[in-house]
Amino acid sequence: MTGDELTGGREDLGGFGLGPPDVDLDRVWLGVAAQVWRRCPGPVERAAARMLRSPGLARALMTTPSLLIGWVLATVIVLIAGVGVTLGTGAPWVGVLAPALAAAGIAYAYGPGIDPAWELSQSMAVSDRMVLLVRALAVFGLNAAFGVAASAASGAAAAVTFGWLVPMTAICALALAAATVTRSPNVGVAAGWTAWVIAILSGMATDGKFTTAITDSAFVVPYLALAVCCGAVVLFATRIPRGAA
Amino acid sequence: MNVELTELTRKFGHTRAVAGVSLEAGPGVFGLLGPNGAGKTSLLRMMATVLPPTSGTLSLLGRDPGAYGPRREIRRRLGYLPQNLGYYPGFTVVDFVEYFALLKDMPPKQVPRAVAAAIEHVGLGGRARSKLRTLSGGMLRRVGIAQAIVNEPELLLLDEPTAGLDPEQRVSFRALLRDFGQRSTVIVSTHLVEDIAAACSEVMLMDAGRIVFHGTPGELIARGEGHDVGDAPLERGYSAVLAAARS
Repeated sequence: MTGDELTGGREDLGGFGLGPPDVDLDRVWLGVAAQVWRRCPGPVERAAARMLRSPGLARALMTTPSLLIGWVLATVIVLIAGVGVTLGTGAPWVGVLAPALAAAGIAYAYGPGIDPAWELSQSMAVSDRMVLLVRALAVFGLNAAFGVAASAASGAAAAVTFGWLVPMTAICALALAAATVTRSPNVGVAAGWTAWVIAILSGMATDGKFTTAITDSAFVVPYLALAVCCGAVVLFATRIPRGAA
Repeated sequence: MNVELTELTRKFGHTRAVAGVSLEAGPGVFGLLGPNGAGKTSLLRMMATVLPPTSGTLSLLGRDPGAYGPRREIRRRLGYLPQNLGYYPGFTVVDFVEYFALLKDMPPKQVPRAVAAAIEHVGLGGRARSKLRTLSGGMLRRVGIAQAIVNEPELLLLDEPTAGLDPEQRVSFRALLRDFGQRSTVIVSTHLVEDIAAACSEVMLMDAGRIVFHGTPGELIARGEGHDVGDAPLERGYSAVLAAARS
């Protein structure tokens, strides 16, 4: 039954005086409309609401722009192509592509310029910082899962398969920090990708291999240090404004 | 008092968008008039806790919005319609209003009925299941009003709410404002003086970041006597006050 049909039905009831005189038809109608229009959250949203203890946060998670089907499909397609190239050349292309994809997803988890209702969301009781945190974790987790699956499918060595998770963390943190500071997701993506290209070129300058950025353990500490610094920048950029008191 | 502002200021770089506004407001409908760039939107955004003030004090619903806990309480009791309402094109009217009801921390069990009531209030019952991308500009504005009132707010802030509404819808909307004004503080920023005359108990006129007039619509009309700029009495009062403030 559509909303039009329901509204028409209510008018008929009122117009023909079919209800008993002591019944508030508007109140009855609201009860009916509430039941008919009620949205049933999907299993993922219900699970998220239980885990996060907040239906609002769970709903905000489901509206994450970079988790929309287009983005997820694009990520899957690029990683499948990465698997194909890896199998063809023997070089770990999945590990090289995964951090860049995740960085873009994380940058697009941030609101301004990408979430149409961001201004309104800022005036809501559920903290926009919590919304950002949950969205970023969800995108990171999904990309990591896709990356691990693609790496496993490509049959790369275990060290390479998991080696990109640390650089991915650093590049994602950088992309998020740039997006939050500049309030532009596109700047976040540009910063993340630029840094990743620089890391790969630096690795090549060291020993001539483009895979050094994901295989050389000497990079782990700088990656983690960068992630921590960028995390601090994100916390600062999204701090609760105290206002003037 | 639901709203208490003392010497509230907001700067953007060297520009003072709001320059020392003081205001006390209890229940009622307050109209905020002023030319473009007068500071109306910045003032509303500060009252909506979206924008922190540069200086001055701000108390909303008896709480300090500068602290996290009180601000969350304020936001639970706040309704806000921004000037530029962004929307998710794939959402239905119900999805959109419900989304913001949940973000306002309403108890989930109360949400379906509150959503239905808000949608009925703005006359969109027949389009409740329509995707937002299929609605006209006026209908989208009414969706924005529905999300603002879904939690029965004690403080309702509306920035250009009647933009895009047809005359019949504006009449209904003014009735809604008067209804909310009986129990809540409603502050409406608008360029349409007819809305002020029909719905507001008090009117404030802003210019260059300051409130240059605060009184009843009748008092604003009285200021326009003998002034020849403007077609309607309220417009003449508006022009007279602005001219005096700028002289």
